[in-house]
Amino acid sequence: MNSILEIKNLSIDLVDGRKTYPVVNDINLSIKKKQRYGIVGESGSGKSLTSLAIMNLLADSLKITRGSIVLDGKHELTKMKKKELRKVRGHDISMIFQEPMTALDPLYPIEHQILEVLRFHFTFSKKQMRDMAVEMLKKVGISRPEQIMKNYPHQLSGGMRQRVMIAMALICSPKLLIADEPTTALDVTIQAQILDLMNELTEDFDTSILMITHDLGVIVEMCERVAVMYAGEIVEETTVAKLFSNPAHPYTSGLLRSVQSLGNRTQSLYSIPGTVPTPKQQTAGCRFASRCPHVMPVCNSSPPFLEIGNDHSTKCWLYAKEGVVNA
Amino acid sequence: MMYAYITRRLLMLIPVLFGVSIFIFVMMRVVPGDVAMTILGTDATPESLAQLRKEFGLNLPLHQQYLNWMGGVLSGDFGESMRSGQAVLPDILSRFTITFELTLLSALISWIIAIPMGIIAAIRHNTKTDFSVRMVSLLGVSVPNFAMATVLILVLALFFSYSPPVGYIGFFEDPLRNLQILILPSLVLGTGMAGAVMRMTRSSVLEILRQDFIRTIRAKGARERVIIFDHALRNAMIPILTIIGMQVGTLLGGAVIIEQIFSLPGLGQLVLTAITQRDFTVVQGSVLFIAFVFVMINLLVDVLYSYLDPRINYK
Ligand SMILES: Nc1ncnc2c1ncn2[C@@H]1O[C@H](COP(=O)(O)OP(=O)(O)OP(=O)(O)O)[C@@H](O)[C@H]1O
Ligand code: SF4
Ligand SMILES: [Mg+2]
Repeated sequence: MNSILEIKNLSIDLVDGRKTYPVVNDINLSIKKKQRYGIVGESGSGKSLTSLAIMNLLADSLKITRGSIVLDGKHELTKMKKKELRKVRGHDISMIFQEPMTALDPLYPIEHQILEVLRFHFTFSKKQMRDMAVEMLKKVGISRPEQIMKNYPHQLSGGMRQRVMIAMALICSPKLLIADEPTTALDVTIQAQILDLMNELTEDFDTSILMITHDLGVIVEMCERVAVMYAGEIVEETTVAKLFSNPAHPYTSGLLRSVQSLGNRTQSLYSIPGTVPTPKQQTAGCRFASRCPHVMPVCNSSPPFLEIGNDHSTKCWLYAKEGVVNA
Repeated sequence: MMYAYITRRLLMLIPVLFGVSIFIFVMMRVVPGDVAMTILGTDATPESLAQLRKEFGLNLPLHQQYLNWMGGVLSGDFGESMRSGQAVLPDILSRFTITFELTLLSALISWIIAIPMGIIAAIRHNTKTDFSVRMVSLLGVSVPNFAMATVLILVLALFFSYSPPVGYIGFFEDPLRNLQILILPSLVLGTGMAGAVMRMTRSSVLEILRQDFIRTIRAKGARERVIIFDHALRNAMIPILTIIGMQVGTLLGGAVIIEQIFSLPGLGQLVLTAITQRDFTVVQGSVLFIAFVFVMINLLVDVLYSYLDPRINYK
């Protein structure tokens, strides 16, 4: 068993008063040691909810209704007591979020915020912790760490803050780093730097990555394996190479087409018509049906998630013989 | 930097207090009746009234009267009471210690009640606890102080045969008795203020708990205690401080009424009596003094802001 993280049949419901709506449905994925795993999908497809569920950081209105999340082949995270879960957070698994502007407490200097994570998990002396923090800030490419430690978040640029977030996330050498759109809010040049940095450092620290993004470019840049999410479900799962050379699901094809048209300025920009149905709009059958160019009568019922080739699975009737469904 | 800011704020005090002095000076002369009439009564002869007014300098042209008063004030002499002949400033200061103690004690009581309750309501929002705390605070906000005071006095008298001691003894003379005298009026004022502070605490803590950075801290493995006190409360203190600053005015206003009900010889009582007696010098001096205190408290609140929030940079 060399899976760092194994998610099985994960479902999350949104509780709104008396009603509940499924927002994440039957997610399965497995991240290996040192692997870089990507989840890609449009806004509202449930990527963030899936990532927050791992460390049980979901808002009160969201409930895990089914499934298991296993760390390191032995720790069931969904059933963990608060106290044990605290030991996992920031230590075994850490997170970087999209908005570096709002992800740090505005009232504390950087030093306090970095040292905090060490204090939560170890009993080093203040001097040791400070040395570790300075060392870590150097590793994330901050040239005057002593100075930055004294600064408050509002005194730093977005890129600097994201570097601080990375330093904070990696300082305990976690087994898994979850990065939810870590570069979306940054300038293009800074984006590339931050991705390189994450690539480099996770290599050094033997850390696996779960990269959440809506940007296939980031997936190519960073990941080995990828799951495509749509409306709360994984619709395709395979290696990054196979996804690009041989996309199976019509949604994946659409995503790829929009990226390619982005690279080729002579063509007009392609985007998949329509939008992701919100949890409250979902109907029975394939969730992509309302936007799918290949929709068929059978798509009125939910397609099965099937292996269609070596290490390549998808959830679409185009690849399923009807007889297979009940088998 | 901070000193420069404070100096500038203190300089800005001058026009504010100047405006207040003109306002209260004119007000006292616009309202019907004057000090001579209240001293001599309704059957006084015009001659005796004119004589007395002359003694007080009230026969002079208005600008002359104002300049005389201001000249004294600027050299630290607020004049004498037109009724008792006592020097105004020492009287104001000695009575202000009572009002100040009452206000401070009330504020402390309200914070001790309101801030923990607000935090608990925020942590347990939308539960029965939250609901009851909010009901109680609504009660606190809507029951007027005088009604609360009356009920409190009646309940204590009827069911516990206790009546609050009257008169006043300074804290340094007899601390225990001093507290005994002030505790009831402070409770009334403090609980009156607690409602608003509680609601602000609840809503700000709740709002902060929804922020992204709280999620970051939780993801770092923080205990709830650290999340609530080091981060949520500290951030929420900024809006809470605003409401506390605004409450000071209400508190001083409330003190006037409470001092009447509990017969405390505070500044409020002094002003009220002086107004009914048209004791110009006392009213003008007290109002100017209260305005000064008010502005100083606002300045203190602003300085506290910059201490709490590194993003605030007073230039
Ligand atoms: N706290 C919440 N309360 C109610 N609905 C929520 C909440 N959080 C997310 N949702 C809903 O759940 C769905 C999935 O949200 P999620 O944030 O996981 O999407 P995402 O794929 O991360 O999108 P984005 O790229 O915009 O971050 C969305 O329809 C969203 O509106
Ligand atoms: S199942 Fe049908 S509607 Fe859904 S993606 Fe496949 S072809 Fe399109
Ligand atoms: Mg998201």
